[in-house]
This record gives sequence, C-alpha cells and structure tokens, in this order.
Amino acid sequence: MSQSIKLEVVTPERPVFSAEVSEVQFPTAARGYYGILPGHTPLMTAVGDGLLYYVQDGQKHWLTVFGGFAEVGPDRVTILARESETVDMIDLEQVEAQRQRALKLLKEAVTEHDLTSAQAALDASLIRLQAAGHPAGHGF
Amino acid sequence: MAGLQDIRRRIRSVKNTQQVTKAMKMISAVKLRKAQERLVALRPYAGKMMEVVRRVVSRIQGDVEIQPGPAAQAFLSPREEKRIRVVLVASDKGLCGGFNANVLKAASTFVAETTAEIVHLDVVGKRAAEWARKHQLTAAGEYLGIPLAGFQRVVTEISEGAAAQYHAGEIDALYIIYNYFNSPMSQTPTVFRVFPMELDRLAEGREALEVSHLLEPDPNSVLETLLPRFVETELLRNLLESSASEHGARMAAMDKASNNAGEMIAQLTLTMNKIRQASITNQIIEIVSGANA
Repeated sequence: MSQSIKLEVVTPERPVFSAEVSEVQFPTAARGYYGILPGHTPLMTAVGDGLLYYVQDGQKHWLTVFGGFAEVGPDRVTILARESETVDMIDLEQVEAQRQRALKLLKEAVTEHDLTSAQAALDASLIRLQAAGHPAGHGF
Repeated sequence: MAGLQDIRRRIRSVKNTQQVTKAMKMISAVKLRKAQERLVALRPYAGKMMEVVRRVVSRIQGDVEIQPGPAAQAFLSPREEKRIRVVLVASDKGLCGGFNANVLKAASTFVAETTAEIVHLDVVGKRAAEWARKHQLTAAGEYLGIPLAGFQRVVTEISEGAAAQYHAGEIDALYIIYNYFNSPMSQTPTVFRVFPMELDRLAEGREALEVSHLLEPDPNSVLETLLPRFVETELLRNLLESSASEHGARMAAMDKASNNAGEMIAQLTLTMNKIRQASITNQIIEIVSGANA
C-alpha cells in the first residue's frame, strides 16, 4: 500500500496545489472535517468553506478552500474548489480591508439577503486571516 | 494644383485610420492572449470535473439500490424536451468580421427549427440583446459589458438558476449558442446542449472505473451539488471560448483593414506622384517653349 497521497487542488482559475503528502484534512459541506490518511476508502463528497491542511515532510501546511467537490482514493485526494488559496497567495492588508467592509455591511444590513451575503464575506475573510495566522482569525 | 492637395489630404486620413486599426489589432491580440490563458488554466479543472462526474454517474448506474433523484436524471435519463433554456453569447462591440453575424444566424436557425418552447433566454453581449429585441424575444437574463473577471459570477448565476429550474421541472434542457474557438483565425458558431449530457460523452473511458466510491452524505445529494458545478464549468469554458473567438476575429478583421489601408496609401501615393510629375513636365514645357519663342 502506498504511504503517501497525491493531493491536487484545482480551481477554475488555476491549479493551486499538487504534491505528494502524508495526510490531508478538509472541510465538507455536510459533515464537518474529514481527515484522510493513505489507503482511505474511495469517497466523494461536497466541500465546504474553511481550512484544508496537509502534512508534508512532517510539517503542517494550510490552504483555504471555498466550496466545491472532493474525490478521495486510496492514494489520492482531488479537490475541485470553487476558490482556493495557498497561504502566500493571501494579501493580509486586502483581507483585513475585506473584513472591515464585511463588518460594516453586517451592521447596515436590512434584508435577509444582505445579511447572509455580509456574513459569508466576513466568514471568508476570517478563514483567510486564520490561514495566514493572523491574530484576529483565531476566534473563528 | 487642386487634385494634388486632395490626394495628400486623403493619404493623411487613410494613414490615421490605419493607425487606429493597427492599435485595435494589437489590443485584440493582448485580449486574445488573456482569454486563451484563462482557457488553458481552466483545462485541468474541467478535465477533473469530467472525470468525477463520470465516476459518480457510473457508480449510481452500477448500483441498483440507489434510486436516482432529479439531479441524476439530468445526467442519466433525459426527459422529453418540451421547455428549454437557451444562453446566447455574442459580443458587446462590433468590428470583428463575421463573429456576431454567424452566431446570430445560428441562433435564428435554432429558434426556427426547435420544437421545444424557449421558456428562458439569457443573452450575453449587446449584439445578442439587440438580436433578441429584433426577434421579439424577451431575454430574462441580460449580461452586458462583462469583463473576463466577471464571467465566473455570470456562469454561477445561470447554472444555479438552471439547475433549480430543472429540479422544479420548469425546463428540460439547457442550451448554449456561442462561437467555438478553433484558432485565432477561425471560429465555428456552435449550438451545445449543456445538460442533459450526451450519454456517449459520459461513456468515454468508463471501463477504467471499477472502484465503488462512498458517496457522502448520500448519492443523490452528491449529484445535486455536483450538477450546478459541472454546468458552471461547461458554461465558463464556452464563454471563454466565445471571448477568445471574438478577439481572434477582431484581430483578423483589423489586420485585414490595416493591410487594405496600406494598399490604398500605396495607390494614392502613386497617383499623387504621377500628378506631380505631370505638373512638373508641364511647367518645363512651358519654360522651354517660352525660351524658344
């Protein structure tokens, strides 16, 4: 049995990540986080919004994923994400601005639609901040 | 001589036009490259998406215990097409050869020949919107002046809507009419059924899949989340193809215009030189004959 997993993360805009890793954990839409080790049962499920981590050479690394689809095989994990970023793709200043804007929108929201979209924007910015290890993201 | 002045003025004006067409050609070349880059970047995602859809579908088909839900029908058992949704993609601007004319002609043919009722029409691009008005069709969705970066939002909106309509039984199929990108110099107007999918497209390479996947939380809800994503990917690809085609067509048209302007300048210059020489010859003759007298 293979001792590693080929993790591939692709978005419509670009292939984000592809490498051999020893462990993966990703958020699902319906059932919380799934942790995958080599030799996992083949599985397919919808991906939620949140942080994905993989372990490579004993080191944990983080990626953001926003929605999409995951396919798991014994020696591979393929994530078709609507959006995804590696930590170094995240621009902290931009995300902080996004968070402030979302907070402001949340306060001003009148309709339910405004409220959900502002909440979604806030969640997205918090996930990104957390991925980048920013203090404000830890409370999420 | 008045003729000389006129020709000089015309040469200048043609030169100006040539500068404009040359600039437009270069801009189109840049935009074409950008659209092509997006297409290339989408390819791995689209390929994987196709693979996953095939796996899920063969999994559901291979298991008699699973009752296919409405989303599975979209992939597996097409309903009779009575009501359809159509997306028509043209451009916002003209000056791109036969790009719009061809795709709009294909649209007219499709509308005339289809037996199904078009219950929902989406138009992308001003030329498509004008076409709809001319044919007295109401476009439920109008997407005008969308930049490359805005395509994702457009396709998400259309695909989520179309998937919901399919579930509710409001539409039986989703079609897109657009320009397929063969090469920068050639595009083919294409009518494409996004879903229900052609079964033989699904069947390709299915032998290789024997592993039966767990579908979590359950097969039908997996397909339900997968269907709009899949439709989205197909639409995005088609929109990018159309955009690449548009810029390719404009580049070719502007290249031709620049060449024509060049030829015109050469001809006008020739005529101008002839007239100038004729006038010089005339003057010499006058002087010589004056001196002789």
